[in-house]
Amino acid sequence: MASTAPSIPAKAGARVAEKQPVSFWYRYKVGRILLYVVLTFGALIALTPFVYMILGSLLTRGEMMNRKLFPKDPVAGLQNYVQAWNEANFNEYFVNSVIITTITIVGMLLVCVLAAYAFARMRFPGRDLIFGIFLATMMIPETILLIPNFLIVNRLDKMMSPVLPWLNNWPSLTIPFMASVFAIFLMRQSFTTIPYELWDAARIDGAGHVRFLVQVVLPLSKAVLFTVIIFQFIGSWNALVWPLVVTSRPDWRPIAVGLYGFISEAGPELHLMLAGAVITTAPVLILYFFTQKQFTEGIATTGLKG
Amino acid sequence: MAQQSSAYAPSGRMTGARKRAVQEAITGYLFIAPASILLTVFGLFPLLYAFYISLHRWRIKKGPFLGLKNYTKALGDPQDILWFVVGVVLIFLAWFIWRNMVQEQRAWAMALKFLAVIVLLVGAWAAIMGLGKMIKSGDRQMFESFVITIFYAVGVVPVQLAGALLLAVMLYQNIKGKDWYRMIYFMPYVTITVASAGVFRAIFSRRPESIANRIFGLIGVPPQKWLQEPHGIWELIFGHFGIHLKQVLLGAGLDSFLVFVLLGPSLALISIMLYNLWVFIGYDAVIFLAGLGAIPSDLYEAAEIDGANRWQLFRHVTLPLLSPTIYFLTVITVMGVFKAINHVLVMREPAAQGTVDTASLYIFDQFYLSTRFGYASAIAMVLFAVILTLTFVQNRFAQRRVFYG
Repeated sequence: MASTAPSIPAKAGARVAEKQPVSFWYRYKVGRILLYVVLTFGALIALTPFVYMILGSLLTRGEMMNRKLFPKDPVAGLQNYVQAWNEANFNEYFVNSVIITTITIVGMLLVCVLAAYAFARMRFPGRDLIFGIFLATMMIPETILLIPNFLIVNRLDKMMSPVLPWLNNWPSLTIPFMASVFAIFLMRQSFTTIPYELWDAARIDGAGHVRFLVQVVLPLSKAVLFTVIIFQFIGSWNALVWPLVVTSRPDWRPIAVGLYGFISEAGPELHLMLAGAVITTAPVLILYFFTQKQFTEGIATTGLKG
Repeated sequence: MAQQSSAYAPSGRMTGARKRAVQEAITGYLFIAPASILLTVFGLFPLLYAFYISLHRWRIKKGPFLGLKNYTKALGDPQDILWFVVGVVLIFLAWFIWRNMVQEQRAWAMALKFLAVIVLLVGAWAAIMGLGKMIKSGDRQMFESFVITIFYAVGVVPVQLAGALLLAVMLYQNIKGKDWYRMIYFMPYVTITVASAGVFRAIFSRRPESIANRIFGLIGVPPQKWLQEPHGIWELIFGHFGIHLKQVLLGAGLDSFLVFVLLGPSLALISIMLYNLWVFIGYDAVIFLAGLGAIPSDLYEAAEIDGANRWQLFRHVTLPLLSPTIYFLTVITVMGVFKAINHVLVMREPAAQGTVDTASLYIFDQFYLSTRFGYASAIAMVLFAVILTLTFVQNRFAQRRVFYG
């Protein structure tokens, strides 16, 4: 640059600088450097627990006891994962969580896509009132619903136990979460933006609501579908209190409950507890790394039209 | 738009259109039926059911009808509750009068304003007196759990929102590696709560070599017990300078509950609040970033031409246009504080002596550990009333301050 640049503009620039002394902040880019320092410092705070979790999970029992931070032999530390996996029965919990999450997401999509479509694109008496009631239920905290829902699920279990028991089984862990008002709300918002011309065209071609929904609306709404799936995934994978209440045996307990039990029992076996934390977190984090962009953008848009 | 009119067109003219409208209505009801049934069974009916449960002695199996006894057990003497409720209603009334009169200049308006102030004072007196007596005759632990929830909210909500906004504004600048920063800041939110809370339990352990003690040691904080520390933060700080705040306050003749409030949140609770900030600041920042991106840039340009400096730009362009996002996040965060249970359950240590038990956790304990379904439901209904009042106040407050495009 310097060699090819003509000398006149450079001089002119110098003259301007002489007349209007550039501030210290601007000249040395103090503001920008400060910006990077603060952002990096914050990022370090955000990362510290992860680094600690991974390093700690690779320590031997002796190193943990001697308050070491860095493992001497990380490869040998991998043994912790095997041990934690076997001791905490993660095998079973892991499979449970995958099944529970899958059933919940599929059910949620079926239930909520239909409702969101009806609220967005169809006309029937009382539509807005019903939607308002739906939205109002979001204000009811789960803590209040916990006890009655436990009793309701108990009753359903007694009623249906020969065919389909609810307690210690998938229905109690999945069905109550299939009607997600938040998902309906997000999808309704997205569905309303689809131009009416498309519906007119589809109707001329003889398509009804179902075909229009499946062939036009859903393919155009991939972003919002992805967002609600992600939210449901995080929700199901995270659920602790409800599964704790409706399961009494490990055969249907999800991974969060398994890890919770493991943490309470681990006590001095901190390195195993950390290994368990890595095992449970890894799938979500890996999924996150691969879908990072859609993931954050999907969540970001939820705040736009509060 | 054209269909809108045709759907409800007067009959006789277009029977075909009318038939279609009826058909569409039936299909619509069918479409919302599954969601409606599920929401009714697991979302609306349970609310009524919870109230029904709360009127009974109910330990796993339904017991005798108790009326409002569970409520008086929790909240104390009905007379005191009445005083409190009357006080709160008076405060709202005073606010209502004040709001309608604040722009009037005439003499009678002045008189009404004066009246509002008196109503406010009387209301505040009745509410505080009633509440003081309720705490004495009611379930002290429950009141403590509400205070703990308030500590939690007051400590977390402003810091979290301000931190997230600052972070978002910084990330919104033209910087290199923006996506990387955003990804890192968002990671805590994606992590399994139980796992990350478990890690924080190890970080905030009482061992002198724990990560928290090492980090805070860098800025000269002596080793603390963190999650196992039941003493209030003010008590600890004063204690550091050799003052036994608790004895001083008790010696001054203050009520023991008031002393509990004045000593501040326990260090254990503060550790949990730090965890909460760690999880949600990045999440809130991502939502703020989207809000910032939605502000049209010509507004900034116009303001710059008018000679606004950077702070004025932020204060008069960014903040007002971001107010819907701020409101949305405030509501979400406050609701989150009231729901806070999973991570508290994981990070709770017996040594913290119940100083981290938020209202939700107290309800959960009464239900799950003590199997007092009726009593737990009564407290849950009280919590619900508190949340509804808060939402109402938030809404009213927002109406004047939130600027929708």
